[in-house]
Amino acid sequence: MPGESGLKKRLWVLFFLAPSLTGLIVFILGPVLYSLVLTLYDWNLLSPPRFIGLNNFVEVAHDTRFLGAFKHTLTYLVLYVPSVLVLSFGMALLLNQPLRGRTFFRMAFFIPVVSSWVAVSVIWRWIFNPRFGLLNYLLGLVGIEGPGWLFDPDWVLYAIVIASVWKDAGFVAVLFLAGLQGIPGIYYEAAKIDGANSRQRLRHITIPLITPTTFFALITSLISSFQMFDQAWLMPERFARSGATVVMEQIVNNAFRYQRMGYAASMSWVLFAVIFVITIVQLRLQRRWVHYDL
Amino acid sequence: MSRKLLALTMLLALLVGLMPGTSLAQEPVTLKYATFTGSGDRAEELDQIIQAFQAENPHITIEVISAPFDDYFTMLQADFVAGEPPDVLELNYENFVAYAASGVLLDVSEYLDPETPYYPGALNAFKYQGAQMALPETFSTVVLYYNKDLFDQAGVAYPTADWTWDDALAAAEQIRALDDDIWGIYAPIQFWEFYKRAAQNGCSFFNEDMTESTINAPECVEALDVMMRFIETDVMPDPAESAGIPDTEMFQNGSVGMVVLGIWMFPAYADLPFEWDIELEPGIAQKAYHFFSNGVAIARDTEHPEEAALWAQFLTASETAATVRVENDWELPAINKPEYFEAFLSATPPANREVVFASLEAPVPPPVIERQSEMQDIFEDLLAAVVNGELDSQTALDMAKAEIDALLQ
Amino acid sequence: MKTQLANLDRHTPSRAIALPRLTLASVGLFLLRAVQYGLLILLALVMLTPFMWMLSTSLKTQEYILQSKPQLIPNPISFDSYTELFDIMPVGRMLLNSAVVAVVGTAGQVLMAAMAAYAFARMQWRGRQAVFLLYLATMMIPSQVTIIPLFILVRKLGWMNTYQALIVPSLFSAFATFLLRQSFMTIPRDLEEAAFIDGGNHFTVFRRIVLPLSGPVLATLSVFGFMALWNSYLWPLFVAREQEIMTLPVGLAALQGSNQSLTEWNLVMAGAVITVLPILVVYLLAQRWFVQGVVLSGIKA
Repeated sequence: MPGESGLKKRLWVLFFLAPSLTGLIVFILGPVLYSLVLTLYDWNLLSPPRFIGLNNFVEVAHDTRFLGAFKHTLTYLVLYVPSVLVLSFGMALLLNQPLRGRTFFRMAFFIPVVSSWVAVSVIWRWIFNPRFGLLNYLLGLVGIEGPGWLFDPDWVLYAIVIASVWKDAGFVAVLFLAGLQGIPGIYYEAAKIDGANSRQRLRHITIPLITPTTFFALITSLISSFQMFDQAWLMPERFARSGATVVMEQIVNNAFRYQRMGYAASMSWVLFAVIFVITIVQLRLQRRWVHYDL
Repeated sequence: MSRKLLALTMLLALLVGLMPGTSLAQEPVTLKYATFTGSGDRAEELDQIIQAFQAENPHITIEVISAPFDDYFTMLQADFVAGEPPDVLELNYENFVAYAASGVLLDVSEYLDPETPYYPGALNAFKYQGAQMALPETFSTVVLYYNKDLFDQAGVAYPTADWTWDDALAAAEQIRALDDDIWGIYAPIQFWEFYKRAAQNGCSFFNEDMTESTINAPECVEALDVMMRFIETDVMPDPAESAGIPDTEMFQNGSVGMVVLGIWMFPAYADLPFEWDIELEPGIAQKAYHFFSNGVAIARDTEHPEEAALWAQFLTASETAATVRVENDWELPAINKPEYFEAFLSATPPANREVVFASLEAPVPPPVIERQSEMQDIFEDLLAAVVNGELDSQTALDMAKAEIDALLQ
Repeated sequence: MKTQLANLDRHTPSRAIALPRLTLASVGLFLLRAVQYGLLILLALVMLTPFMWMLSTSLKTQEYILQSKPQLIPNPISFDSYTELFDIMPVGRMLLNSAVVAVVGTAGQVLMAAMAAYAFARMQWRGRQAVFLLYLATMMIPSQVTIIPLFILVRKLGWMNTYQALIVPSLFSAFATFLLRQSFMTIPRDLEEAAFIDGGNHFTVFRRIVLPLSGPVLATLSVFGFMALWNSYLWPLFVAREQEIMTLPVGLAALQGSNQSLTEWNLVMAGAVITVLPILVVYLLAQRWFVQGVVLSGIKA
């Protein structure tokens, strides 16, 4: 409110912020700090923790498995993020058109998002099957001999990217759709009166005004790519795993299978540092390309 | 005189009341029992055993906590960390060593009834540094399954107990020749099979005092080559050729002549449309067979050690438990009492069930170190590289040795 | 006079046979729509085929599944896997638990996030940027890092096997706060100022202006939140193990055979279908209420 006093304003801020912030401190920050402290220890959950200083981080820097997994995560990211953003934006544009059966299509695109990876990965393993699968069958119709996909360490990551884009596109499309619907109609009317055609309207109104949503989609896709786990864990066939192991897998293995909680915690913090830096960079850059209004 | 009699009676009553196992001074006790085998479709059978136990011991109630195998150990660790572990817990052999080493288990020797006829080998498997840290609950093993119809078609004699893998290869080649879609044999190339094959050739994973790995010795390399030979001679499908169909299904479909599988598949194969049987699996220089075992341990900090021990022994060695297991094909108790197994031995198929017990004469338990899962994963990656043709056996095992030595630090 | 009328007749289309005008524009529009429909149908096929497969597998009998050449339409169609599923496990109870957790959790989550987002988007205060950064930072922390300490905390609070344990830790969502903040920032200031002039306070603005204008985003978040809580597996596995409190994913995981038996895929898929359907219902409901609500109130136009 214009001209409100300091104390009154602080009380209002507190009112709105308190529930969420309390949850943050108790259920997130607390455990997070605990895990930060844990990075300095060696702990196998059954015996008392043993203080080892920064040794965990030194070991991570030399861990060839971790570094290899990191490379895979980065490759995944570079392929997945642009694909999912472009595809879902296109989907959102289509869904925003006054076409019949829109509700049906929206639901159709959302079904993959809603299914769990446990069930979906089984289906995709059938689709990617080099001998009996749908994909190689379709490729064969056009004269291409399909690769080993989930059986081939060189192709398994690409298969995972395809399945992930398929699964998440509907999610991001819904985000874009909400953003598109939030653009006030007056802008379009005014543009039409000025004689702008649909491509110009897209370029000068839609795309700039959707940038807040784009920014959000970009950040969340980046973060989720770094943390991608379920599909890399469930989909590859046994002998192709070396081609698709990702950072989260290393963390999970170390925490829950090798019982090295301190080491796993330090890996998570390294990952966190990387994500943090990238996000800060994005936040800085957003001033250049994100418009909150025209 | 009557006063003395009174005093004596009171003393006797006191003594009787203080003796364990009588119902005079029994407070109700609830025991938490954690299990991974007793989940899902086995929960009913576990319940039968529990009901029988509770009938005999009315003051004890068993509360079951279960999770599927993949999540069980995470759940268990979380419970230990939070300071509220179960009283009695099921452990497979590999994890037993880690838990025993961490000192969270109770030494059950003082509670153990020495008359219980556990197989000595099984009982020893669950000793740690001389102390009895768990009781053997079940054992199972892996045998050679063969499709009699395919053998007849190819005109090959059935496997015998003296076969070597060369004999198996010869038979596999004949069967493979029957059809493009029929394979001779499937012997998986994985950690579990490898350590057994290695033992069959006199190779051991570690030196005497477990300070160094000897996995790259010539006998071991030869064992790996024996495994790879089946793929190289095309009697066994490589990963792309098997196209995701597991060996269990291949045998079921009748598309493979021999498979090396666990005895737990008997119920699934009860109604196959062809004749089949089992035999002890072939060897190389000598024979060695899988010995898989699950054990039941007691948490060191339990508040009811005696009751926990009662339950543990009932679960692992009572006639009820043995009968329930055998009747439902739910693994075999590690008890040396042939009369319990009559039902098991007389069921068919397969007919040759004595083989299961014969395997106990040359058992090889898994090689276990503290950092067990990491060692397994190292092997999985290296074996995959060998199967994919990226590494040869010697190089792979040299690399394995280097990495395992690092784990032994 | 007659000529004028005759001229009129020539230019006015006859009402008896009303033919649409075939202009270049309308042909163009027709083609455009055709292409758009084509793309939509193609995409829908791609998105739906796996789900069709899931559905079809759930309607097959056990023997039928184990064929190497997959077939889409089961023959015979059988609901056995569903009945067997209800026999093996207390599906009804698990459905209820999942529903309670998901509904209450989502409502709480969205409300708390909306309030926090309002503080970030519409109010100026010291430290705003820093606290927002803190929220963002928590999004980058993988849940596996916090799960064990969180478990210890929940145990200490005595919340094992309770609804609180399943709901409360997930009430806080940086993702939802972030998304709502982005959305709130696009609302024109003048509406707000008008409300203040009329004597309203922040809460009035929040309730009467900001929330109604954010219909699509709120709907979206409700669906996402519901979905995340409904499908959540690892956390409920830790804290909700007793039969009365167990949720659907945890119960169904027991179906995925161990290596000791052959997985019954028709049961697994039946479970998967049962898990997916309620979310679709929620999605349709959210669509109807929120989005249509915006259209009816006519604010955006």
